[in-house]
Amino acid sequence: MIFDNLRLYHFLWLAQLRQTLQYRVSFILDVLSTSLVTILEFSAFALIFAKFQGLGGWSLPEIMFLYGMVEFAFGLTDMVFDGFDSPTFSAHIRKGTLDQFLLRPANLMIQIFGSSLSFRRIGRVILGAGIFGYALIYNPQVWHLEKLMYLPLVVLGMNLYFGALFLVGASITIFTVDSTDAMNLLTYGGKDMMSYPMNIYADWLRIVFTFLFPVALLNYHPALFFLGKPDPFGLPDFMPFLAPVAGLVMFLLALQFWKFGLKHYQSTGN
Amino acid sequence: MRLFWEITKRAFARHLTYRTATITGLITNLFFGLLRASVLLALLGNSSSTGGWSAQDLVTYVALTQAIMMVVSIFGWSELMNTVYRGEIAAELLRPTSLYLFWLAQDIGRGLTALVTRGISIMLVCYLVFAIRLPTDFWHWMTVFLSLALAIGISFAFRFIVNLAAFWSPDARGIARFAFIVLGFASGFLMPLRFFPDWLQQFLALTPFPHMMNSTIEIYIGSSNTKPLELLALQGFWAIALTLVAQLILSRATRRLVILGG
Repeated sequence: MIFDNLRLYHFLWLAQLRQTLQYRVSFILDVLSTSLVTILEFSAFALIFAKFQGLGGWSLPEIMFLYGMVEFAFGLTDMVFDGFDSPTFSAHIRKGTLDQFLLRPANLMIQIFGSSLSFRRIGRVILGAGIFGYALIYNPQVWHLEKLMYLPLVVLGMNLYFGALFLVGASITIFTVDSTDAMNLLTYGGKDMMSYPMNIYADWLRIVFTFLFPVALLNYHPALFFLGKPDPFGLPDFMPFLAPVAGLVMFLLALQFWKFGLKHYQSTGN
Repeated sequence: MRLFWEITKRAFARHLTYRTATITGLITNLFFGLLRASVLLALLGNSSSTGGWSAQDLVTYVALTQAIMMVVSIFGWSELMNTVYRGEIAAELLRPTSLYLFWLAQDIGRGLTALVTRGISIMLVCYLVFAIRLPTDFWHWMTVFLSLALAIGISFAFRFIVNLAAFWSPDARGIARFAFIVLGFASGFLMPLRFFPDWLQQFLALTPFPHMMNSTIEIYIGSSNTKPLELLALQGFWAIALTLVAQLILSRATRRLVILGG
Protein backbone atom coordinates (compact mmCIF):
# COMPACT_ATOMS: atom_id res chain seq x y z
CA MET A 1 0.00 0.00 0.00
CA ILE A 2 2.73 2.44 1.04
CA PHE A 3 4.79 1.19 -1.87
CA ASP A 4 1.92 1.87 -4.28
CA ASN A 5 1.56 5.38 -2.91
CA LEU A 6 5.25 6.07 -3.32
CA ARG A 7 5.12 4.84 -6.89
CA LEU A 8 2.13 7.05 -7.62
CA TYR A 9 3.88 10.05 -6.07
CA HIS A 10 7.04 9.36 -8.04
CA PHE A 11 4.96 9.14 -11.23
CA LEU A 12 3.12 12.42 -10.55
CA TRP A 13 6.39 14.08 -9.54
CA LEU A 14 7.97 13.17 -12.86
CA ALA A 15 4.91 14.41 -14.74
CA GLN A 16 5.13 17.75 -12.91
CA LEU A 17 8.84 18.00 -13.68
CA ARG A 18 8.27 17.30 -17.36
CA GLN A 19 5.48 19.86 -17.46
CA THR A 20 7.68 22.49 -15.79
CA LEU A 21 10.56 21.85 -18.18
CA GLN A 22 8.30 22.27 -21.22
CA TYR A 23 8.67 26.03 -20.82
CA ARG A 24 12.37 26.07 -20.18
CA VAL A 25 13.03 29.81 -20.54
CA SER A 26 10.20 30.83 -18.30
CA PHE A 27 11.23 28.15 -15.76
CA ILE A 28 14.79 29.49 -15.66
CA LEU A 29 13.47 33.05 -15.31
CA ASP A 30 11.27 31.88 -12.43
CA VAL A 31 14.17 30.18 -10.66
CA LEU A 32 16.31 33.29 -11.08
CA SER A 33 13.63 35.64 -9.78
CA THR A 34 12.89 33.37 -6.81
CA SER A 35 16.63 33.37 -6.06
CA LEU A 36 16.80 37.15 -6.42
CA VAL A 37 14.20 37.53 -3.64
CA THR A 38 16.42 35.61 -1.23
CA ILE A 39 19.58 37.36 -2.46
CA LEU A 40 18.21 40.89 -2.09
CA GLU A 41 16.39 40.26 1.19
CA PHE A 42 19.50 38.77 2.73
CA SER A 43 21.90 41.35 1.25
CA ALA A 44 19.72 44.22 2.48
CA PHE A 45 20.20 42.87 5.99
CA ALA A 46 23.87 41.89 5.61
CA LEU A 47 24.78 45.25 4.02
CA ILE A 48 23.38 47.34 6.84
CA PHE A 49 24.66 44.93 9.50
CA ALA A 50 28.16 46.42 9.03
CA LYS A 51 26.90 49.80 10.28
CA PHE A 52 25.79 48.37 13.62
CA GLN A 53 27.43 46.48 16.51
CA GLY A 54 25.72 43.11 16.13
CA LEU A 55 22.17 41.96 16.70
CA GLY A 56 21.11 40.87 20.17
CA GLY A 57 24.62 39.55 20.87
CA TRP A 58 24.79 37.49 17.65
CA SER A 59 27.45 37.85 14.94
CA LEU A 60 26.59 37.77 11.23
CA PRO A 61 27.78 34.15 10.70
CA GLU A 62 25.71 33.10 13.72
CA ILE A 63 22.61 34.80 12.31
CA MET A 64 23.34 33.19 8.96
CA PHE A 65 23.07 29.83 10.73
CA LEU A 66 19.44 30.66 11.60
CA TYR A 67 18.68 32.47 8.36
CA GLY A 68 20.12 29.86 6.01
CA MET A 69 18.52 26.94 7.82
CA VAL A 70 15.06 28.55 7.74
CA GLU A 71 15.41 29.59 4.10
CA PHE A 72 16.46 26.04 3.17
CA ALA A 73 13.76 24.27 5.20
CA PHE A 74 11.00 26.66 4.18
CA GLY A 75 11.98 26.52 0.50
CA LEU A 76 11.87 22.74 0.59
CA THR A 77 8.46 22.61 2.28
CA ASP A 78 7.08 25.32 0.01
CA MET A 79 8.17 23.31 -3.03
CA VAL A 80 6.72 19.99 -1.88
CA PHE A 81 3.51 21.27 -0.25
CA ASP A 82 2.53 23.54 -3.13
CA GLY A 83 -0.63 21.50 -3.74
CA PHE A 84 -1.81 22.45 -0.23
CA ASP A 85 -0.80 26.10 -0.53
CA SER A 86 -4.04 28.09 -0.11
CA PRO A 87 -4.13 29.68 -3.62
CA THR A 88 -3.49 26.31 -5.34
CA PHE A 89 -5.83 24.40 -3.07
CA SER A 90 -8.65 26.92 -3.27
CA ALA A 91 -8.44 26.55 -7.07
CA HIS A 92 -8.95 22.78 -6.60
CA ILE A 93 -12.14 23.54 -4.69
CA ARG A 94 -13.46 26.18 -7.04
CA LYS A 95 -12.74 24.20 -10.22
CA GLY A 96 -14.00 20.94 -8.73
CA THR A 97 -10.68 19.07 -9.12
CA LEU A 98 -10.94 18.12 -5.46
CA ASP A 99 -14.15 16.23 -6.32
CA GLN A 100 -12.23 14.35 -9.00
CA PHE A 101 -9.46 13.49 -6.53
CA LEU A 102 -12.01 12.20 -4.02
CA LEU A 103 -13.66 9.94 -6.59
CA ARG A 104 -10.43 8.30 -7.73
CA PRO A 105 -9.39 5.04 -6.07
CA ALA A 106 -6.06 6.48 -4.91
CA ASN A 107 -4.72 8.17 -1.81
CA LEU A 108 -6.11 11.72 -1.65
CA MET A 109 -3.09 13.42 -0.08
CA ILE A 110 -0.70 11.82 -2.57
CA GLN A 111 -2.84 13.15 -5.40
CA ILE A 112 -2.82 16.66 -3.94
CA PHE A 113 0.93 16.51 -3.30
CA GLY A 114 1.40 15.38 -6.89
CA SER A 115 -1.00 17.96 -8.34
CA SER A 116 1.47 20.81 -8.03
CA LEU A 117 5.14 21.16 -7.21
CA SER A 118 6.77 24.55 -7.40
CA PHE A 119 10.18 23.57 -8.70
CA ARG A 120 11.13 27.22 -9.03
CA ARG A 121 11.61 27.29 -5.23
CA ILE A 122 14.81 25.34 -5.85
CA GLY A 123 16.50 28.74 -6.07
CA ARG A 124 15.54 29.49 -2.49
CA VAL A 125 16.60 26.01 -1.34
CA ILE A 126 20.04 26.29 -2.96
CA LEU A 127 20.67 29.81 -1.66
CA GLY A 128 19.46 28.81 1.80
CA ALA A 129 21.92 25.91 1.72
CA GLY A 130 24.63 28.34 0.57
CA ILE A 131 24.00 30.80 3.41
CA PHE A 132 23.86 27.89 5.85
CA GLY A 133 27.06 26.40 4.43
CA TYR A 134 28.86 29.72 4.94
CA ALA A 135 27.61 29.77 8.53
CA LEU A 136 28.93 26.24 9.08
CA ILE A 137 32.40 27.23 7.87
CA TYR A 138 32.55 30.24 10.18
CA ASN A 139 31.10 28.44 13.20
CA PRO A 140 33.54 25.53 13.73
CA GLN A 141 31.90 24.78 17.10
CA VAL A 142 29.12 23.01 15.15
CA TRP A 143 31.54 20.39 13.84
CA HIS A 144 30.85 17.61 16.33
CA LEU A 145 29.49 14.23 15.34
CA GLU A 146 26.49 14.32 17.68
CA LYS A 147 25.56 17.84 16.55
CA LEU A 148 25.85 16.95 12.87
CA MET A 149 23.67 13.90 13.44
CA TYR A 150 20.99 15.99 15.14
CA LEU A 151 21.01 18.65 12.40
CA PRO A 152 18.84 16.77 9.83
CA LEU A 153 16.24 16.13 12.54
CA VAL A 154 16.00 19.87 13.23
CA VAL A 155 15.46 20.57 9.53
CA LEU A 156 12.86 17.80 9.42
CA GLY A 157 11.09 19.39 12.42
CA MET A 158 10.84 22.67 10.50
CA ASN A 159 9.60 20.87 7.39
CA LEU A 160 6.87 19.21 9.45
CA TYR A 161 5.89 22.51 11.10
CA PHE A 162 5.65 24.46 7.86
CA GLY A 163 3.91 21.49 6.25
CA ALA A 164 1.40 21.54 9.11
CA LEU A 165 0.69 25.22 8.43
CA PHE A 166 0.07 24.54 4.73
CA LEU A 167 -2.25 21.68 5.69
CA VAL A 168 -4.20 23.87 8.12
CA GLY A 169 -4.38 26.63 5.50
CA ALA A 170 -5.85 24.15 3.00
CA SER A 171 -8.33 22.85 5.59
CA ILE A 172 -9.54 26.38 6.36
CA THR A 173 -9.97 26.90 2.62
CA ILE A 174 -12.50 24.02 2.64
CA PHE A 175 -14.77 26.18 4.80
CA THR A 176 -14.02 29.61 3.36
CA VAL A 177 -13.25 28.64 -0.29
CA ASP A 178 -10.99 31.64 -0.65
CA SER A 179 -7.49 31.68 0.76
CA THR A 180 -6.89 33.50 4.02
CA ASP A 181 -4.57 36.33 4.98
CA ALA A 182 -4.41 35.14 8.59
CA MET A 183 -2.43 32.04 7.66
CA ASN A 184 0.19 34.16 5.88
CA LEU A 185 0.85 35.78 9.21
CA LEU A 186 1.77 32.42 10.74
CA THR A 187 3.57 30.98 7.72
CA TYR A 188 5.55 33.92 6.41
CA GLY A 189 5.58 35.82 9.69
CA GLY A 190 6.83 32.71 11.48
CA LYS A 191 9.46 32.19 8.82
CA ASP A 192 10.66 35.81 9.09
CA MET A 193 10.74 35.53 12.87
CA MET A 194 12.83 32.36 12.80
CA SER A 195 15.43 34.07 10.62
CA TYR A 196 16.67 36.14 13.57
CA PRO A 197 17.48 35.30 17.22
CA MET A 198 14.34 35.27 19.38
CA ASN A 199 15.78 37.50 22.11
CA ILE A 200 15.27 40.55 19.86
CA TYR A 201 11.48 40.28 20.09
CA ALA A 202 9.20 41.62 22.82
CA ASP A 203 8.55 39.10 25.63
CA TRP A 204 4.86 38.54 24.82
CA LEU A 205 5.71 37.86 21.18
CA ARG A 206 8.48 35.44 22.11
CA ILE A 207 6.31 33.59 24.63
CA VAL A 208 3.43 33.21 22.14
CA PHE A 209 5.84 31.93 19.51
CA THR A 210 7.59 29.54 21.88
CA PHE A 211 4.76 27.89 23.78
CA LEU A 212 1.62 28.44 21.68
CA PHE A 213 3.27 28.11 18.26
CA PRO A 214 6.60 26.31 18.74
CA VAL A 215 8.48 28.61 16.38
CA ALA A 216 11.38 29.26 18.80
CA LEU A 217 11.69 25.56 19.62
CA LEU A 218 12.25 24.73 15.96
CA ASN A 219 15.43 26.64 15.30
CA TYR A 220 16.36 29.22 17.94
CA HIS A 221 16.79 26.81 20.84
CA PRO A 222 18.50 24.17 18.69
CA ALA A 223 20.80 26.93 17.33
CA LEU A 224 21.82 27.85 20.89
CA PHE A 225 22.94 24.23 21.29
CA PHE A 226 24.69 24.02 17.91
CA LEU A 227 26.50 27.34 18.33
CA GLY A 228 27.28 26.75 22.00
CA LYS A 229 25.52 29.90 23.17
CA PRO A 230 23.99 30.20 26.66
CA ASP A 231 20.19 30.41 26.88
CA PRO A 232 19.39 34.01 27.92
CA PHE A 233 16.01 32.90 29.28
CA GLY A 234 17.39 30.13 31.52
CA LEU A 235 15.00 27.49 30.13
CA PRO A 236 15.67 23.77 30.84
CA ASP A 237 18.58 22.03 29.10
CA PHE A 238 16.30 19.77 27.03
CA MET A 239 14.74 22.75 25.17
CA PRO A 240 17.07 22.43 22.12
CA PHE A 241 16.00 18.83 21.63
CA LEU A 242 12.27 19.43 21.34
CA ALA A 243 12.43 20.56 17.70
CA PRO A 244 11.60 17.25 15.95
CA VAL A 245 8.92 16.46 18.54
CA ALA A 246 7.34 19.90 18.20
CA GLY A 247 7.28 19.58 14.42
CA LEU A 248 5.76 16.11 14.59
CA VAL A 249 3.08 17.09 17.13
CA MET A 250 2.06 20.11 15.03
CA PHE A 251 1.89 17.97 11.92
CA LEU A 252 -0.27 15.31 13.59
CA LEU A 253 -2.61 17.99 14.94
CA ALA A 254 -2.82 19.53 11.47
CA LEU A 255 -3.62 16.10 10.04
CA GLN A 256 -6.56 15.78 12.44
CA PHE A 257 -7.81 19.22 11.40
CA TRP A 258 -7.44 18.23 7.76
CA LYS A 259 -9.58 15.11 8.33
CA PHE A 260 -12.14 17.22 10.15
CA GLY A 261 -12.19 19.66 7.24
CA LEU A 262 -12.66 16.90 4.67
CA LYS A 263 -15.55 15.42 6.64
CA HIS A 264 -17.31 18.76 6.30
CA TYR A 265 -16.41 19.26 2.69
CA GLN A 266 -19.32 20.19 0.48
CA SER A 267 -18.50 20.55 -3.16
CA THR A 268 -19.07 23.99 -4.66
CA GLY A 269 -21.33 22.02 -7.00
CA ASN A 270 -20.25 23.00 -10.47
CA MET B 1 -10.01 66.37 -16.43
CA ARG B 2 -13.56 65.74 -15.25
CA LEU B 3 -13.39 62.22 -16.67
CA PHE B 4 -10.05 61.66 -14.94
CA TRP B 5 -11.63 62.69 -11.63
CA GLU B 6 -14.66 60.44 -12.18
CA ILE B 7 -12.47 57.38 -12.89
CA THR B 8 -10.40 58.14 -9.79
CA LYS B 9 -13.56 58.44 -7.66
CA ARG B 10 -15.00 55.15 -8.97
CA ALA B 11 -11.74 53.27 -8.40
CA PHE B 12 -11.64 54.69 -4.86
CA ALA B 13 -15.20 53.51 -4.14
CA ARG B 14 -14.57 50.08 -5.71
CA HIS B 15 -11.50 49.34 -3.60
CA LEU B 16 -13.24 50.62 -0.47
CA THR B 17 -15.81 47.80 -0.60
CA TYR B 18 -13.41 45.04 0.45
CA ARG B 19 -13.79 45.63 4.21
CA THR B 20 -12.88 42.25 5.74
CA ALA B 21 -9.84 42.03 3.51
CA THR B 22 -8.89 45.50 4.71
CA ILE B 23 -9.09 44.52 8.39
CA THR B 24 -7.14 41.24 8.11
CA GLY B 25 -4.69 43.02 5.84
CA LEU B 26 -4.23 45.68 8.49
CA ILE B 27 -3.44 43.14 11.21
CA THR B 28 -0.98 41.29 8.98
CA ASN B 29 0.62 44.57 8.03
CA LEU B 30 1.05 45.62 11.67
CA PHE B 31 2.47 42.22 12.60
CA PHE B 32 5.12 42.34 9.88
CA GLY B 33 5.88 45.92 10.91
CA LEU B 34 6.42 44.73 14.47
CA LEU B 35 8.91 42.08 13.31
CA ARG B 36 10.80 44.55 11.10
CA ALA B 37 10.97 47.14 13.88
CA SER B 38 12.27 44.48 16.31
CA VAL B 39 15.18 43.71 13.97
CA LEU B 40 16.09 47.37 13.42
CA LEU B 41 15.84 48.23 17.13
CA ALA B 42 17.99 45.21 18.04
CA LEU B 43 20.57 46.36 15.50
CA LEU B 44 20.64 49.76 17.17
CA GLY B 45 21.11 48.02 20.52
CA ASN B 46 22.27 50.35 23.27
CA SER B 47 23.46 53.15 20.99
CA SER B 48 21.29 56.25 20.98
CA SER B 49 21.49 56.76 17.23
CA THR B 50 23.12 55.50 14.04
CA GLY B 51 23.67 57.47 10.86
CA GLY B 52 21.58 60.32 12.27
CA TRP B 53 18.55 58.19 13.16
CA SER B 54 17.32 57.50 16.70
CA ALA B 55 15.21 54.54 17.86
CA GLN B 56 12.10 56.67 17.37
CA ASP B 57 13.19 57.42 13.80
CA LEU B 58 13.68 53.70 13.10
CA VAL B 59 10.19 52.85 14.34
CA THR B 60 8.79 55.78 12.34
CA TYR B 61 10.59 54.44 9.26
CA VAL B 62 8.97 51.00 9.67
CA ALA B 63 5.51 52.45 10.33
CA LEU B 64 5.78 54.72 7.30
CA THR B 65 6.97 51.99 4.92
CA GLN B 66 4.17 49.69 6.11
CA ALA B 67 1.68 52.54 5.73
CA ILE B 68 2.61 53.60 2.20
CA MET B 69 3.75 50.31 0.63
CA MET B 70 0.29 49.71 -0.84
CA VAL B 71 -0.12 53.38 -1.75
CA VAL B 72 2.92 53.28 -4.03
CA SER B 73 2.38 49.57 -4.94
CA ILE B 74 5.81 48.44 -3.82
CA PHE B 75 4.95 44.82 -4.63
CA GLY B 76 4.12 45.67 -8.21
CA TRP B 77 1.13 45.78 -10.50
CA SER B 78 0.22 43.72 -13.54
CA GLU B 79 -3.32 44.70 -14.57
CA LEU B 80 -2.18 46.36 -17.78
CA MET B 81 -0.22 43.32 -19.00
CA ASN B 82 -3.20 41.12 -18.19
CA THR B 83 -5.39 43.22 -20.51
CA VAL B 84 -2.74 42.78 -23.22
CA TYR B 85 -2.64 39.00 -22.78
CA ARG B 86 -6.43 38.71 -22.61
CA GLY B 87 -6.86 40.94 -25.65
CA GLU B 88 -9.01 43.48 -23.77
CA ILE B 89 -6.41 46.07 -24.65
CA ALA B 90 -8.13 46.39 -28.05
CA ALA B 91 -11.28 47.75 -26.45
CA GLU B 92 -9.28 49.95 -24.08
CA LEU B 93 -7.44 51.57 -26.94
CA LEU B 94 -10.76 52.46 -28.58
CA ARG B 95 -11.60 54.76 -25.68
CA PRO B 96 -11.35 58.45 -26.47
CA THR B 97 -9.02 59.01 -23.52
CA SER B 98 -5.31 58.39 -23.24
CA LEU B 99 -4.56 54.85 -22.04
CA TYR B 100 -1.96 56.29 -19.70
CA LEU B 101 -4.32 58.77 -18.05
CA PHE B 102 -7.05 56.14 -17.80
CA TRP B 103 -4.83 53.79 -15.82
CA LEU B 104 -3.21 56.61 -13.86
CA ALA B 105 -6.65 57.72 -12.67
CA GLN B 106 -7.42 54.13 -11.62
CA ASP B 107 -4.11 53.91 -9.81
CA ILE B 108 -4.61 57.16 -7.94
CA GLY B 109 -8.05 55.95 -6.86
CA ARG B 110 -6.55 52.69 -5.62
CA GLY B 111 -3.70 54.54 -3.95
CA LEU B 112 -6.09 56.91 -2.16
CA THR B 113 -8.10 53.96 -0.82
CA ALA B 114 -4.90 52.37 0.45
CA LEU B 115 -3.91 55.69 2.04
CA VAL B 116 -7.26 56.21 3.77
CA THR B 117 -7.85 52.61 4.91
CA ARG B 118 -4.38 51.19 5.53
CA GLY B 119 -2.08 54.18 5.61
CA ILE B 120 -3.82 56.45 8.06
CA SER B 121 -4.91 53.64 10.40
CA ILE B 122 -1.39 52.20 10.57
CA MET B 123 0.12 55.61 11.28
CA LEU B 124 -2.53 56.28 13.93
CA VAL B 125 -2.01 52.92 15.71
CA CYS B 126 1.76 53.39 15.58
CA TYR B 127 1.45 56.94 16.89
CA LEU B 128 -0.72 55.85 19.83
CA VAL B 129 1.25 52.69 20.69
CA PHE B 130 4.84 53.48 19.71
CA ALA B 131 4.79 57.30 19.79
CA ILE B 132 6.23 57.60 16.28
CA ARG B 133 7.38 60.96 14.99
CA LEU B 134 4.85 63.27 13.30
CA PRO B 135 5.66 66.11 10.89
CA THR B 136 6.35 69.27 12.86
CA ASP B 137 4.24 71.90 11.12
CA PHE B 138 1.85 72.62 8.27
CA TRP B 139 4.68 73.22 5.78
CA HIS B 140 6.26 69.90 6.73
CA TRP B 141 2.95 68.07 6.22
CA MET B 142 2.58 69.70 2.79
CA THR B 143 6.04 68.58 1.65
CA VAL B 144 5.29 65.03 2.83
CA PHE B 145 2.03 64.85 0.87
CA LEU B 146 3.57 66.44 -2.20
CA SER B 147 6.44 63.96 -2.03
CA LEU B 148 4.01 61.05 -1.65
CA ALA B 149 2.01 62.24 -4.66
CA LEU B 150 5.20 62.44 -6.72
CA ALA B 151 6.23 58.98 -5.47
CA ILE B 152 2.92 57.56 -6.74
CA GLY B 153 3.49 59.28 -10.09
CA ILE B 154 7.04 57.92 -10.46
CA SER B 155 6.12 54.45 -9.26
CA PHE B 156 3.13 54.36 -11.61
CA ALA B 157 5.21 55.41 -14.63
CA PHE B 158 7.77 52.73 -13.77
CA ARG B 159 5.13 50.02 -13.31
CA PHE B 160 3.42 51.11 -16.54
CA ILE B 161 6.70 50.80 -18.48
CA VAL B 162 7.33 47.34 -17.00
CA ASN B 163 3.81 46.27 -18.03
CA LEU B 164 4.38 47.49 -21.58
CA ALA B 165 6.87 44.62 -21.94
CA ALA B 166 3.79 42.48 -22.59
CA PHE B 167 3.52 44.08 -26.06
CA TRP B 168 6.86 42.56 -27.01
CA SER B 169 7.36 39.45 -24.90
CA PRO B 170 5.16 36.54 -23.85
CA ASP B 171 7.29 36.37 -20.66
CA ALA B 172 6.44 39.84 -19.35
CA ARG B 173 5.29 38.31 -16.06
CA GLY B 174 8.81 37.01 -15.43
CA ILE B 175 10.33 40.35 -16.39
CA ALA B 176 7.90 42.14 -14.08
CA ARG B 177 8.76 39.85 -11.20
CA PHE B 178 12.42 40.85 -11.53
CA ALA B 179 11.59 44.53 -11.80
CA PHE B 180 9.39 44.54 -8.70
CA ILE B 181 11.89 42.61 -6.58
CA VAL B 182 14.53 45.21 -7.44
CA LEU B 183 11.98 47.93 -6.65
CA GLY B 184 11.50 46.61 -3.09
CA PHE B 185 15.25 46.63 -2.47
CA ALA B 186 16.27 49.83 -4.27
CA SER B 187 13.37 51.99 -3.05
CA GLY B 188 14.39 51.60 0.59
CA PHE B 189 11.44 49.38 1.49
CA LEU B 190 13.46 46.36 2.70
CA MET B 191 15.97 48.44 4.68
CA PRO B 192 16.59 52.20 4.97
CA LEU B 193 18.91 53.27 2.13
CA ARG B 194 20.90 55.57 4.45
CA PHE B 195 22.39 52.51 6.19
CA PHE B 196 23.69 50.99 2.94
CA PRO B 197 27.39 51.37 2.07
CA ASP B 198 28.22 54.70 0.42
CA TRP B 199 29.03 53.21 -3.00
CA LEU B 200 25.60 51.58 -3.15
CA GLN B 201 23.82 54.73 -2.01
CA GLN B 202 25.64 56.76 -4.67
CA PHE B 203 24.75 54.22 -7.33
CA LEU B 204 21.07 54.07 -6.32
CA ALA B 205 20.91 57.88 -6.29
CA LEU B 206 21.36 57.74 -10.08
CA THR B 207 18.19 55.66 -10.46
CA PRO B 208 14.55 56.64 -9.93
CA PHE B 209 13.97 53.89 -7.31
CA PRO B 210 14.80 55.86 -4.14
CA HIS B 211 12.23 58.47 -5.20
CA MET B 212 9.40 55.91 -5.12
CA MET B 213 9.63 55.57 -1.32
CA ASN B 214 12.90 56.54 0.36
CA SER B 215 12.70 60.28 -0.46
CA THR B 216 9.23 60.53 1.08
CA ILE B 217 10.53 58.79 4.22
CA GLU B 218 13.54 61.12 4.43
CA ILE B 219 11.31 64.17 4.05
CA TYR B 220 8.88 62.83 6.69
CA ILE B 221 11.56 62.02 9.27
CA GLY B 222 13.48 65.17 8.38
CA SER B 223 16.90 64.69 9.97
CA SER B 224 19.24 67.66 10.01
CA ASN B 225 21.10 66.59 6.85
CA THR B 226 17.95 66.16 4.73
CA LYS B 227 17.25 68.76 2.05
CA PRO B 228 13.50 68.43 1.36
CA LEU B 229 13.38 70.90 -1.52
CA GLU B 230 16.23 69.18 -3.33
CA LEU B 231 14.53 65.79 -2.92
CA LEU B 232 11.22 67.20 -4.16
CA ALA B 233 12.93 68.70 -7.20
CA LEU B 234 14.57 65.36 -8.02
CA GLN B 235 11.24 63.60 -7.58
CA GLY B 236 9.64 66.12 -9.92
CA PHE B 237 12.36 65.48 -12.48
CA TRP B 238 11.91 61.71 -12.35
CA ALA B 239 8.11 61.99 -12.46
CA ILE B 240 8.30 64.00 -15.69
CA ALA B 241 11.12 61.94 -17.21
CA LEU B 242 9.54 58.54 -16.58
CA THR B 243 6.11 59.74 -17.71
CA LEU B 244 7.63 60.90 -21.00
CA VAL B 245 9.50 57.62 -21.45
CA ALA B 246 6.28 55.73 -20.76
CA GLN B 247 4.47 57.78 -23.44
CA LEU B 248 7.21 57.12 -25.93
CA ILE B 249 7.22 53.36 -25.35
CA LEU B 250 3.41 53.27 -25.33
CA SER B 251 3.21 54.92 -28.76
CA ARG B 252 5.71 52.37 -30.13
CA ALA B 253 3.80 49.54 -28.50
CA THR B 254 0.43 50.51 -29.94
CA ARG B 255 1.95 50.95 -33.38
CA ARG B 256 3.19 47.38 -33.46
CA LEU B 257 0.05 45.94 -31.87
CA VAL B 258 -1.85 43.45 -33.98
CA ILE B 259 -5.16 42.28 -32.58
CA LEU B 260 -6.37 38.87 -33.59
CA GLY B 261 -10.14 38.79 -33.93
CA GLY B 262 -12.21 36.08 -32.37
